[in-house]
Amino acid sequence: MPEIRNYTLNFGPQHPSAHGVLRLVLEMDGEVIERSDPHIGLLHRGTEKLAETKPYNQSIPYMDRLDYVSMMQNEHAYVLAVEKLLGIEAPIRAQYIRTMFDEITRILNHMMWLGTHALDIGAMTVFLYCFREREDLMDCYEAVSGARMHAAYYRVGGVYRDLPDEMPRFAASDLKRDKSELDRLNENRQGSLLDFIEDFTDRFPGCVDEYETLLTENRIWKQRTVGIGVVTADRAKALGFTGPMLRGSGVEWDLRKKQPYAAYDKVDFDIPVGLNGDCYDRYLVRVEEIRQSNRIIRQCVDWLRENPGPVMVENHKIAPPKRAAMKSDMEGLIHHFKLFSEGYCTPPGEVYAAVEASKGEFGVYIISDGANKPYRLKLRAPGFAHLMAMDEMAKGHMLADVVALIGTMDVVFGEIDR
Amino acid sequence: MKVFIDYIRSLFLLELLKGLQLTGRYLCAKKFTIQYPEERAPMSPRFRGLHAQRRYENGEERCIACKLCEATCPALAITIEAAPREDGSRRTTRYEIDLFKCIFCGYCEESCPVDAIVESRTYEYCFENRGENIMTKEQLLAHGDKHEVQLAKDLEAQAPYR
Amino acid sequence: MSEEKTITIEVDGQPLETKAGALLIDVTDAAGINIPRFCYHDKLSIAASCRMCLVEVAKVPKPIPACATQVMDGMVVQTRSPMALAAQKATMEFLLINHPLDCPVCDQGGECELQDVAMGYGSDVTRFVEGKRVIPENNIGPLIATDMTRCIHCTRCVRFGDEVAGMREMGATGRGEHMTIGTFVAHNINSELSGNVIDLCPVGALTSKPFQYRARAWELTRHTGVAPHDSVGSNIQIHTRRGEVMRVHPHSNDAINEVWLSDRDRFSYEGIKSEERLTQPLIKKDGEWVETSWEEALETAASGLREIASADADQIGTLVSPTATLEEIALAQKITEGLGSPNIDYRLRQEDFRGNSRAVPWLGQSIASLEDVDSALLIGSNIRKDQPLLAHRVRKAALKGAKIQLVNPLQLDLHFDAAQMVSDPAGMVRNLAAIAEAAGGSHHLTEQIEVTDEHKAVAEGLKCSKSTVILLGNIAQSHPDFTILYGLASVIAKAADAFVGVIPMAANSVGAAVVGAIPNKGLNAHAMLENPRKGYLLLGIEPGLDINNPALARAAMSGAETVVAITAYRSPCLEETASVMLPMAAFGETSGSFVNAEGRWQSFSGTTGPAGESRPGWKILRVLGNLMDISGFDYSSSEEILDELRGAHGGELQVASLGAAKGKIRSAVTGLARIGETPIYAADALVRRAASLQETEEARDAAVARVNPSVAADAGLLDGEKVAVVQGEGRAEMVLKVDANIPDGCVWVPAAVPGSESLGDQFGELSLEKV
Repeated sequence: MPEIRNYTLNFGPQHPSAHGVLRLVLEMDGEVIERSDPHIGLLHRGTEKLAETKPYNQSIPYMDRLDYVSMMQNEHAYVLAVEKLLGIEAPIRAQYIRTMFDEITRILNHMMWLGTHALDIGAMTVFLYCFREREDLMDCYEAVSGARMHAAYYRVGGVYRDLPDEMPRFAASDLKRDKSELDRLNENRQGSLLDFIEDFTDRFPGCVDEYETLLTENRIWKQRTVGIGVVTADRAKALGFTGPMLRGSGVEWDLRKKQPYAAYDKVDFDIPVGLNGDCYDRYLVRVEEIRQSNRIIRQCVDWLRENPGPVMVENHKIAPPKRAAMKSDMEGLIHHFKLFSEGYCTPPGEVYAAVEASKGEFGVYIISDGANKPYRLKLRAPGFAHLMAMDEMAKGHMLADVVALIGTMDVVFGEIDR
Repeated sequence: MKVFIDYIRSLFLLELLKGLQLTGRYLCAKKFTIQYPEERAPMSPRFRGLHAQRRYENGEERCIACKLCEATCPALAITIEAAPREDGSRRTTRYEIDLFKCIFCGYCEESCPVDAIVESRTYEYCFENRGENIMTKEQLLAHGDKHEVQLAKDLEAQAPYR
Repeated sequence: MSEEKTITIEVDGQPLETKAGALLIDVTDAAGINIPRFCYHDKLSIAASCRMCLVEVAKVPKPIPACATQVMDGMVVQTRSPMALAAQKATMEFLLINHPLDCPVCDQGGECELQDVAMGYGSDVTRFVEGKRVIPENNIGPLIATDMTRCIHCTRCVRFGDEVAGMREMGATGRGEHMTIGTFVAHNINSELSGNVIDLCPVGALTSKPFQYRARAWELTRHTGVAPHDSVGSNIQIHTRRGEVMRVHPHSNDAINEVWLSDRDRFSYEGIKSEERLTQPLIKKDGEWVETSWEEALETAASGLREIASADADQIGTLVSPTATLEEIALAQKITEGLGSPNIDYRLRQEDFRGNSRAVPWLGQSIASLEDVDSALLIGSNIRKDQPLLAHRVRKAALKGAKIQLVNPLQLDLHFDAAQMVSDPAGMVRNLAAIAEAAGGSHHLTEQIEVTDEHKAVAEGLKCSKSTVILLGNIAQSHPDFTILYGLASVIAKAADAFVGVIPMAANSVGAAVVGAIPNKGLNAHAMLENPRKGYLLLGIEPGLDINNPALARAAMSGAETVVAITAYRSPCLEETASVMLPMAAFGETSGSFVNAEGRWQSFSGTTGPAGESRPGWKILRVLGNLMDISGFDYSSSEEILDELRGAHGGELQVASLGAAKGKIRSAVTGLARIGETPIYAADALVRRAASLQETEEARDAAVARVNPSVAADAGLLDGEKVAVVQGEGRAEMVLKVDANIPDGCVWVPAAVPGSESLGDQFGELSLEKV
């Protein structure tokens, strides 16, 4: 009799459901996973090391590229860390803007997750619907920062620019659409960005209902997710889970509530928690989170409408002066020049700042030796801890469930490989 | 009892039919797709696309080779060499942006004290040969000349916010 | 009150022990407590004019300037108290009121003290909306760019000119708002140390012209190095960007150059980028120079020399430049020895070898100790031009009251008080003999001299001081009676209990002597040319410009079979004389070591890649050695060579006699005597190609023949007229300049300038002809 050996299967890094560049080495007993071994590093860019060579502000655009589906949240963690180091706090309006955009980002991220997760395990339509709503939120990104994804909008001491008073509109084109058609497209773009977002928050719960109609009760969806990748609350904590992965297992832990930052202590929202810790519960948690995010955004819109004010600290030793000042006053020009060439120096010390990112706790740890760049920067990526539980979660499941597991973890290699 | 009712109900495929009803509704709804490239998505005046260098109204290039953009560029995409021009003014002899390195963060535009380097609305460009990723000073100025009206308008629109 | 008394003060709550009478700012600097300042500079006098260093002192009702406050026992100082901060902020605001919005176009941007202090201590918004003051531009020469609108009136440049450079070239005119710093009358700044004002200026008012707009401070990579010209061995920082030397700054070293740097060392880097750089090996084929590969060039060079050596090794002569590195010189020496030839020399500008000593000519003491002498006799030395920073030390001594006396063939324009005894070259010997006589020394020239009161005064000056030094400079070393001058100096030294030393000419003169580039039984530099050899190996030499008697050198080399020139530059006189040119890395491109005037070994590494196909000299020589099958050429780095040299020659330099001769005075001439000085900006190949230095008045005025009015009248020549200088077979046309500083019977015709290639000895007989 020949010796029976497990079959080793390479899953990814080119597999479409590997979400980028995950390479999984699976040891199979027939179609059952015996062991799975995630190989990472294919998207390593040395962000932590790069940050050691640049003045603080110059690393902000690199933060966008970590978890590249929740860009502004990464920036948020970074600027919070530097602000903590400097001992400054952004103006209240900037705090609200950050809260609003963090939640917009959370919706963006969860839409991306929902669409691709559903696509991976067999539902096509949700993907299209999710991306339809993402488009509106990307427009919000572009309206404030000029980029649809890599915003570089948060700055140490606030945000770069205030929200625009005008939303860009569709222009008439060569294609002869009648005017009413154009007006329909531009209907929600007549006012400011806040009007646009408000309109979105009005529409959005209906959209979420639509996704739920397609999935929540769907028997195929449930067959693919219920009872898959069960993690108990204790194991989830032991494995370092955060975010929906942890809450899906029934642990009520959310940094927005436990260690409020920005304006989270001033807005109303609930923390959804799962019961069973399987893929289906995590799905439910995330869908509910989307609804809660929508609530937060709505509250921020209302506040921001009422309370104009500065969006950047007025300390020009850290934040560059306004352009008008830079062009006309000597102090302004000197500070502009020095901030863009040399940056600012932080006091020596160590700080850790974390935000509740879409995927979990995204943390930035900085050691400063008093120079204008970090001595060491460490990024705590939630996806890393989640991915490391792959072996435990996949053991005993079928090969097809690996796809559901990758989906439920919401891995993004930008942050895992850094 | 509930289990039994759920089982009977499931035989009717109700949740699947509800889903089909939803998609069916969208089948008949008005389309919101736009026809690229004839139609374009709206674009913010803050948009950060391909770079351009601007000139003053009298045709003089704005850039004074202060090198702040080079210094502040996180990706080290900008290379500047400077020297006194014949009239003694400070000018670049070489101004290149490596579009492979550039991460379109917009810091160059932010740092420029004379609004010389800007990021335009252009986002459709491609390279066919090696080396074309390097945008030279001439290309940047030519690009700026081509879009000056739009660039000036966008900068003006953004001036109150910056 | 005793100066040495130790007291305790408290600064920002930190107790500091210090000497009574010290300045507060020095005490805080030593303790690492930063107080902003503009006008204060530790090498200059106190002006206390900028008011930036205001601090709060307990029991003093107003903030007081730290730079002008002496510490007292128990003083309690607050540098960051609300009062101090408010004072500093207010001062900064006033300083910025008239400062133009120039940062983006200003070269100082990024390394500007005004920017830094404004960031650290100033306000971040302006309250000043009125018009700013503008000051019209003036041009002060090819080295320093000015923009006086940016000036903040710290007067560092003014004090530098007054106190260090010894030329009050800049000053303040007007008062208050109308005060401007500038030259009183529009003229160029000509001090040989002028570049230091660039470093001193805290703002962008005075910046480097050759470097203007070229790069920002943050782009530059700093490499420490050693200046390649004078024998001070100034420590420098070579700033490079993308493999190109952008500028040179001083690197402070109190034992050597303090914080200063001479213009020659600062601006000569421009020569690296000269169009005359040799970037490809060249060989002469049928009288035509053709570019070739390294293999062929090295093979041609090696076989050419080996062939001559195998027939008669004595027919090989090696001449090395004293600006070459220690490693290069040592390898050249090793090759020469390996070929069996005893002929090697670095003393290219020396004519008189009668002393025939192998002793190392050096300063005989440390550079820093020069400023402590009570009395100095400088023989044949234009110290200010030849060794600007040694001159600065001597000047410091003079300011402290030392008696400085000079015996020279021309009246020098010095920046310190000195007694100058001027005569024709032969008269120098007689004057020195008379001084020796007056000092009570015995010598062989007794009957030819007449001791005057002047000589007695000099001798007296030397004898009645505690620490006396007698130094022989460049002119003395090129003098046809150098050994006699040296002998007489030794006699005087003995009589006056003084120290005698030689001021080495070039960056590595001492090093060359240390590693043995002096013939033992072979021919010296002069004899090698007088008795032409068949093969020459030249290291970093331009025969028409770097040798005492260029006419002789060119004749000897043109007649030779093989002349291998390892050189960084291609020049007409090399094209004429050489048969192979091997491109060598220039300053900043090679690693190596220099030994400076005080015998200090200083190594440096290459900062950029060599230009084109050129290679570091030691690598070229190593391969040459290998190709000639000489053993011991297996070095893989210049450090290996250095380690070996340290082992063999690394000991302390001994003060040794150079061997005085008792021959007859050779410098006596019947007609006009040439004074063949090497002008400051013609000293070596690198500086001769430094474009901006060559545009200075100093360089432009160098290539002229100077005579005093009576000689001019005798010859019927007028100032500015073109004359032909005829020396032996050689003839050069130069502009005549009437200069009262030249003694009777002499013509000052410089060496190493264009036109001088065809002339003979630096000191010899010549005649002037009308053109």
